[in-house]
Amino acid sequence: MRMKRTLIAAGTVTAALILAGCAGTPSSNAGGSSSGKTTLSISVWNYDKTPEFKALFDAFEKANPSITIQPVDILAANYEDKVTTMLAGGDTTDIITVKNLTDYAGYASKKQFLNVNDIAKDLPADKIPALKDYDFKGVHYAIPYRQDFSVLFYNKDMFTTAGVADPANLTWKEFAADAQKLTTGSGADKVYGAYLHTWNSIVQGYAAAQTGGSPLSGKYDWMKDQYDLTLGMQKAGTTLDWATANSQQTSYQTMFETGKAAMVPMGTWLIAPLLADAKTGTNKINWGIAPLPQIKANGKIVTDGGPTGFGINKTAKNVAAAKKFLAFAAGQEGAKAVASIGIVPAYHSDAITKQYFGLEGMPQDAISKTAYNPDEVNLDSPVSSTAAQIGTILNEEHQLIMTGSKSVDDGIAEMESRVKSEGLVK
Amino acid sequence: MTTIAERRNAAQHDSPGQPGAASNRPGRSKARALRRRRILVGWSFILPNFLGFALFTLVPVIAAFVLAFMHWDAYNAPTWAGIDNFTRLIGDDSFHVALANTCLYALGHVPLTLAIALGLALLLNQKLRGIAFFRVAIFFPYITSLVAVAIVWNMLFNPTTGPVNQFLHLIGIADAPGWTASTTWALPAVIITSVWRDMGYYMVLFLAGLQAIPHEYYEAAEVDGAGRWQKFWNVTLPSLRPTTFLVLVLLSVSSFKVFDLIFVMTQGGPGRATLVLSQLIYQDGIINGQFGYSSAISLVLFVIVLIVTVFQFKLQQRRER
Amino acid sequence: MSTLTSDLSSEINGDIELGAGGANGSGDGRRVIAPRGGRRRIRSRVGRILMYVVLSVLLAVVLLPFIWMLSSSLKHDAEVLTVPIQWIPQTFVWSNYSQIWQQVPMAGYLMNSAILAVVITFLQVLTGSFAAYGFSKVRFPGRDALFLAYIATIAVPWQAYMIPQYIMMQNAGLTNTFTALILLQAFGAFGVFLMRQYYVTIPDELSEAARIDGLNDYGIWARIILPLSKPALASLALLTFVNTWNDYMGPFIYLSSNSLWTVQIGLRSFIGQYSAQYAMIMTGSVISIIPILVIFLAGQRYFIRGIATSGMKG
Repeated sequence: MRMKRTLIAAGTVTAALILAGCAGTPSSNAGGSSSGKTTLSISVWNYDKTPEFKALFDAFEKANPSITIQPVDILAANYEDKVTTMLAGGDTTDIITVKNLTDYAGYASKKQFLNVNDIAKDLPADKIPALKDYDFKGVHYAIPYRQDFSVLFYNKDMFTTAGVADPANLTWKEFAADAQKLTTGSGADKVYGAYLHTWNSIVQGYAAAQTGGSPLSGKYDWMKDQYDLTLGMQKAGTTLDWATANSQQTSYQTMFETGKAAMVPMGTWLIAPLLADAKTGTNKINWGIAPLPQIKANGKIVTDGGPTGFGINKTAKNVAAAKKFLAFAAGQEGAKAVASIGIVPAYHSDAITKQYFGLEGMPQDAISKTAYNPDEVNLDSPVSSTAAQIGTILNEEHQLIMTGSKSVDDGIAEMESRVKSEGLVK
Repeated sequence: MTTIAERRNAAQHDSPGQPGAASNRPGRSKARALRRRRILVGWSFILPNFLGFALFTLVPVIAAFVLAFMHWDAYNAPTWAGIDNFTRLIGDDSFHVALANTCLYALGHVPLTLAIALGLALLLNQKLRGIAFFRVAIFFPYITSLVAVAIVWNMLFNPTTGPVNQFLHLIGIADAPGWTASTTWALPAVIITSVWRDMGYYMVLFLAGLQAIPHEYYEAAEVDGAGRWQKFWNVTLPSLRPTTFLVLVLLSVSSFKVFDLIFVMTQGGPGRATLVLSQLIYQDGIINGQFGYSSAISLVLFVIVLIVTVFQFKLQQRRER
Repeated sequence: MSTLTSDLSSEINGDIELGAGGANGSGDGRRVIAPRGGRRRIRSRVGRILMYVVLSVLLAVVLLPFIWMLSSSLKHDAEVLTVPIQWIPQTFVWSNYSQIWQQVPMAGYLMNSAILAVVITFLQVLTGSFAAYGFSKVRFPGRDALFLAYIATIAVPWQAYMIPQYIMMQNAGLTNTFTALILLQAFGAFGVFLMRQYYVTIPDELSEAARIDGLNDYGIWARIILPLSKPALASLALLTFVNTWNDYMGPFIYLSSNSLWTVQIGLRSFIGQYSAQYAMIMTGSVISIIPILVIFLAGQRYFIRGIATSGMKG
């Protein structure tokens, strides 16, 4: 009897919840025009926590009062998985934000976006160097609104205390030497001269950009020097060993902000969080940016980087409005909106640089300004349909080299043989 | 003892128990009507669950298996591939690595988890003050955030500063394993962590199974003079057979398709030391856009698990005879 | 309810203590409910203390990551992923627990998770136990082969068929609804398998006696089998609830609107493109464990103390 009553109770509760759940179901995304207003749907990640989208969308809506933007919020953690699934299902979101070039290569080779050569043609190519990054076999499928590149973040106070000159124009050898001088303490109190993050781009990307080597070539001996340097620093104890950093999911931001590392080579995307944390008081260090260390001391600053951009879905319903948005985001107005939050826009100009350095908390010294304007920003991985697979192989071998499971030479040889045997070299 | 054995066998045998009077009655039509009735009744019970299952799970699974014979980038129209994907599988080094890792993982994970979960269930199926607290505690690993599990276990396994190796040094093992930093020891490290995580889950299943053993079986055994070990061996273990079979099959199946824990803990590394089939399917399908190929891998995985499960089924049926 | 049936079941389940020598010493031959389940009573004190020691060591091993979660939830973001791990926070940021409700709509997320978990658990237990009867107590051709196929499909990893499944749901117009998730997860093979294995231990004499009394199969299921399988039902409900509560990928792929998001999605919304609010993630994780603990503590008496027999008197 009690059993029956429990079942009836459970059934009623469930029925009520089903009804509540169904009632809470919102209607599906309806993009389109109603009473002259166009609604543009744009896929973004973590809308609430990524202020650049709001800044860009607000600026655009102000300049175009007849268009409303509806962000499609997707978690940053698995953004690509969801976009792939959505597009497979025939989703009609107008604009897709392209996180990085590997994703872009996928969208481009599957022809999931519209050809936007017409927009690209009208943009000033000299002011937007990242525009050419999206050229896939002569066609642009996306337009960049932001371009990040690698610089060297450094802790000014640590340099002063150790009596080391500021890292104005280092070579990699000087970088390793400085790291040695800046490493202090031991055990739980150890402070590292540098922190090299666990991504394979921290070794392979820098080498590719600075030596001219290409991950698509199937030949990887140009990585050797960079690996030797990195492993040397790991052995000397001037950087946190890769195995620990990887297994503990160490955060480069934490290492830098807590004063655990004096130098951190990282992308310019670190600037905005540092500024934000300084405002809230979490980040108390006196920091600056310097150009990425170079192979030779010949004055030219070459660094690696990549764009973030927007592409128009092939099944989009509001193509005209979408094209307007792309042009806006890549142009000066979009750049102004994005730079106001500390994001490095794809559009370069003296006015933008001035605005950027006018941000509260931004280091004002000459070194930082030099770092902000590198001579060359090369892609660490060119766009290709095989980019993702090659990237996986290179990353797997990177892990083996950095944990000491394979020597650098063996690792490089294995990279070459695997890429070749899987037929990935075009 | 024999009475208990007979009862046990009668209880576990899947006989429908023909009503004695009816089967003696003559007439083929009566037997056929009975058979038809049984089919109808059987299907009426299964239908609610089966309909939902068939529509929402079986159909996509079959679609995925059909895709194994096609090339598909999950967007444009698929093109026929015949057995191209399978010939590629045979030559794919990463597939061989993933297959070996998955089988090794299953070989380690299944018996260890089974034994420990059973042991824990027996341990915690007693009246002791506060035992409920311990039962909840054993379940904690299963509900703790995977990120926390990965970070803490990686810390425990750290080759230089982790407590595990420090303990090993203490007891005289100088050349301690590199655990998640080494290609040979990463898989064992992951197996240990996943056994730790799953033991509470399967303990719950064993606890439920233990409740089904009538007290009088133990009493009868005691009357026959059985000690604790004999009671376990002759009463508990045989009576637990349906539950053990359940746990064994579920464990095997979930071991072959393991993904989350390994992915969060080592991302398949170092290198491909802990690359398993599910991760390969995810990589090739969703990341590399080669959905036909990843479906072929899924089909192979399914066939392997089917063979293992059928084998376990046959073993179980033979034991019951 | 026929006395023949209830007598038979009581006897088989060891309810009746016959004679004066019964374990409970009831000399008048009255029916005494003896609980099922082979529990051993620890007599010696030393044994008991040893038991506690073993259990405590087990406890430490088992709770360590949770302690890390707890301590991280009370830190600033920058202190969570330090090397080496700081087990005790430098400053106890209790405000994390109050702030999280404003940073994300945590209450709404918890509600959504609860709705999904309860509905899916209820349907899974209902249809699973119903189908399990067909698979264990009714003999019809093809039954075992069908059961085998059922089990084998559990083997296919979700990554393999998630896109075809999504396309199917998209065409049915069910994306961004709870209905999609309910349909996908309420009809699994797991529940059927679990219940079937338990039903197999219930003697057929019971159902046969009930059949003689005039019950049809549906009646047997509802009145005899179901009440006897409380431990299995309880464990199925618990495990289904936990799995649904902790499910991330399903809700992530199918739910686009923030108002429908579940706790697991909400937790990962703290992970940005280039940085993450690690402390908040752990705060949310601790909060999300609490309902599961409550249910486990409340429900464990169902699959431990074997109240299975008490349902008979209904």
